[in-house]
Amino acid sequence: MAIYSVGRKRVILALLLTTVLFLTLDLRGNPVIDRAREGFSAALSPVQSATQVVTNPLERAWHGITNYDDLEQENLALQEQVDRLIGTQAAAEAAVIEGKELQALYSLPSLSGIDTEVARVVGYAANNLDQVIEIDKGSRSGIEIGMPVVNQAGLVGKVTQVSPNSARVMLVTDARYSIAVKVTSSDQGFADAPTDTTPSGLDPQLVADAATTTTVPPALVPGITGPDGLPIPATTLPGASANDPFVDATGRRLTPAEIVALADSLSTSTTSVPTDSVPGGSLPGVVSPTTTTTTLPIIEKEYGALEGRGRLRLPQIRFLQDSPSLAVLQVGDLVETAGGSESLAPPGIPVGRVLNRANRPGSGGPLLDVELNADLGRLNFIRVVLYKPLSEVGQ
Amino acid sequence: MFAAFVQGPLVRLIPVGMLLLALQRTLFVDLQVSGVIIQLMMATAAAAGVAGGSERGAVAGFVFGVMFDLAEGTPLGSTATAFTIAGVVGGLLALIAADPQWWLNALFTGLGTAAGALMIPVVRLFIGEPEPFQDRLAIVVPVVAISAAIMSPLLVPLARWCLRLKRPEWTRPIGDASTREA
Repeated sequence: MAIYSVGRKRVILALLLTTVLFLTLDLRGNPVIDRAREGFSAALSPVQSATQVVTNPLERAWHGITNYDDLEQENLALQEQVDRLIGTQAAAEAAVIEGKELQALYSLPSLSGIDTEVARVVGYAANNLDQVIEIDKGSRSGIEIGMPVVNQAGLVGKVTQVSPNSARVMLVTDARYSIAVKVTSSDQGFADAPTDTTPSGLDPQLVADAATTTTVPPALVPGITGPDGLPIPATTLPGASANDPFVDATGRRLTPAEIVALADSLSTSTTSVPTDSVPGGSLPGVVSPTTTTTTLPIIEKEYGALEGRGRLRLPQIRFLQDSPSLAVLQVGDLVETAGGSESLAPPGIPVGRVLNRANRPGSGGPLLDVELNADLGRLNFIRVVLYKPLSEVGQ
Repeated sequence: MFAAFVQGPLVRLIPVGMLLLALQRTLFVDLQVSGVIIQLMMATAAAAGVAGGSERGAVAGFVFGVMFDLAEGTPLGSTATAFTIAGVVGGLLALIAADPQWWLNALFTGLGTAAGALMIPVVRLFIGEPEPFQDRLAIVVPVVAISAAIMSPLLVPLARWCLRLKRPEWTRPIGDASTREA
């Protein structure tokens, strides 16, 4: 049996001081340590692959014993979810197409224009503190540190270390993870809203009128154009004949001055009403060929910082404030990346949904627990979004 | 120098460490108990301390910890510090008994591993990571310690082989009455 002595104390002290030296060098960034890491990973790779092959039956047996009941229940739940999703798929596809068209129309940035690299998850962190995964693609595939990582459900994390053929991804749940997000209203939120008002502040009857579909072909006022240079549709006064739009309810034909005055009022009124809710042609007494549907707008409620809190704990959004004039942050609100010139992720990547709201005293603002869309415990294939912040693109 | 290296413990510690690391990163990531990853390498470091004393335990913990940090991408030295402490604590506890029974070895290995598991968030706190102490630590430490104690009948002999140690044999002192009779 070993005997404790002063000499042994020195050895232990020397080893501990060496670890402190390593820590200092590594945290300040050291290329030698980086190369040592890559070399050691390369040396360990064949051993790990062989071990994986040998231990695979053991892992399966363990999962078979411990997860059988959970798996059965999960299968039932998933089947129900699949049935529900099939029903909503068509509507969702139409909405996606419409959204992409709108984004293209307004030149908004979207994920569809950014290249991605599909990678396979080859390992999880082997300690109980970090939330990190390893993927089988690296710098040779164009992956760089900081790039966001997603799967089909939403945001997964960001790349933190890259080697030629592999990379490490810090998951959203890691305590060191933070990203700017925006909280938007949800369909649930609208369902709970009072029925006599609309989110845009318009009269409900006006919105209902806007939803009507008209198929009358446009009749243009000869020689009169609107502010955008296009011919202005002819108008029909209340009670007028549809065959002759320039006749009033009493049968009297309008004078050119009255037609011009009406056209002026048309262009003025159109700009004063939100075009996404009420098209110009649905103004009282105006017939338009536009086909409209009632689409409730998504409201961006607030911007904040999403921070991971470690394993088995929900990420939280901080730096928020309620804005009573716009909307109150509530359970069920949607969360997506906010983007920005220095953000590592482009805007619009879905993150999750608000699950809990905790009010804090003073000016701290509420804390929102976020249930992630992506199931981080079952990652298999992920996509690295080859996105660079706008602030770095020009460099 | 070469002879010293060949005859030293590193020749066996490094390949055994590679194998343990591969097991840690594959099999033991999946074999979780209550969502806690069992720390095989840390348990082996503590077992080395129990088998060979605090100095050898510290050496084994340092080597395993550096390997773990290199493979996992954690700050180099952070896990090594924790593993070194696990080996030292295991070795110090083993001083209590001159020739401990297997269950005492298991107890010392478990306690050494618990000390190492507690050191990880301490080190992370020193290097400025946010919230290293989580509520889950109350589950992580006991699970890691108990699993290390259960594995100790395998790990202590393995550590003894790595460190080129032989099991101590106790002989009667010369001049003892029973020896004279023989």
